[in-house]
Amino acid sequence: MLEHEDHPNPHPHGRALRLGICGPVGTGKSSLIALLCRELAGRLELAVITNDIYTDEDARFLRAAGVLDADRIRAVETGACPHTAIRDDITANLLVVEELEDEYGDLDVVLLESGGDNLTATFSPALVDAQVFVLDVAGGGDVARKGGPGIERADLLVVNKTDLAPYVGVDVARMLADARAARGGGPVIGLSRTDRASIDELLAWISGVLATHRAGMLMPVDPGPMARHLHAHEHAHNH
Amino acid sequence: MPPHPELLLMLLADARLPAAGHTQSGTAEAALAHGLAAAELPGYVSARLASVTCVEAGTAVVARAVLLRSGGTAQLADVAAAWAARTPSPALREAARVQARALLRLADRLWPEAGALQAVRELIRPCRAVVLGAVAAHVGLGAAALARLVGYDDVQTVCAAALKLVPMDPAVVTGWVHDALPDIDQLAATVAELTEPASIPAVGSPQIEAWAQAHAATSRRLFRA
Repeated sequence: MLEHEDHPNPHPHGRALRLGICGPVGTGKSSLIALLCRELAGRLELAVITNDIYTDEDARFLRAAGVLDADRIRAVETGACPHTAIRDDITANLLVVEELEDEYGDLDVVLLESGGDNLTATFSPALVDAQVFVLDVAGGGDVARKGGPGIERADLLVVNKTDLAPYVGVDVARMLADARAARGGGPVIGLSRTDRASIDELLAWISGVLATHRAGMLMPVDPGPMARHLHAHEHAHNH
Repeated sequence: MPPHPELLLMLLADARLPAAGHTQSGTAEAALAHGLAAAELPGYVSARLASVTCVEAGTAVVARAVLLRSGGTAQLADVAAAWAARTPSPALREAARVQARALLRLADRLWPEAGALQAVRELIRPCRAVVLGAVAAHVGLGAAALARLVGYDDVQTVCAAALKLVPMDPAVVTGWVHDALPDIDQLAATVAELTEPASIPAVGSPQIEAWAQAHAATSRRLFRA
């Protein structure tokens, strides 16, 4: 429940909350955005920007899902540089954010999906106000422990597809504990679209971030481009 | 003391300029997808300099000239209309207008006081060449230098995209850029003296325009244009 949805002046900060969703390819970023649209579109004004490696694949997936007016879903084509487009030169994304904000003056949240890149890709704090890093259990139970800027320091880490754990031999509780340890206690949500409680937990987190943004108290934090090197001996080849 | 024009030229020609240049291939992606061989890219670059890029450079030079003789938005609109008439592909026009927004966004931050940019801002969907012309007018970049900038940026855009699309020894590709420099000088000589919209060369390339149209319609592409 978003208790502030009747806020008398929902935009004291002057614009919508820009929330980034990043993480490796195949972890369920587009599905997560579809889920958020399904849950939130009835009470919040939403728009979505996808960063695709190949044209507008993810944008078309989301439009086909029918969870949001197709015109509110826009694709940024990144010239094979999805990492650049969300971090080093964010111009293409900013232009689309501003275009959407101009065309829909009352937006509450703009969701930005990164192109499925790798563990090191995170959003610039000049582009998003907060960011969610998405992993999934099918990618392996040890990924959370490996760390990296997004895993360690994104505003929220989602471990997705927890319902698949029995099929891929992953101990979810262990993976979540590893993730919390890697994040020094920062928020972690084990998510499954078949687990209502996990969805409510995610919505409550977003509700809190939105309230902080509207109060003008949200300071975007850069997860940084670098992993900590605590376990460098274990995976030095990843650096 | 204002910075030396050579330094401003380097700034504007730098691929690290945050104006979303990495999203562009100068239609090279479509050309390669439709049968152009990688070895033919040097010829492709020359063909662009003699056609679509010549229109861009001519437009930028004339926009600069118009602003320097105290022209305003109405006169710039004539320049933009002359450019559009010489750029029959809607995909190429759209790409140039999107790039214009990115460049204008940056220019607003670097030169917020520029009257030349104010005139551009009042245009409806200006093209990139007009924005570049306005920047040149404001920072004191000469007409020939501006034309070289447009030509050089186009060659580098195609060659940098080629390295992603058909990877090869990057020194080979830098060799292509180097070998195209005389053509860029030729382009600059062709357009540097232009001052009137009607004098902008009308030298499109139907093949490049057809490729650009096909690219805009495909559902599999890495580059925006």
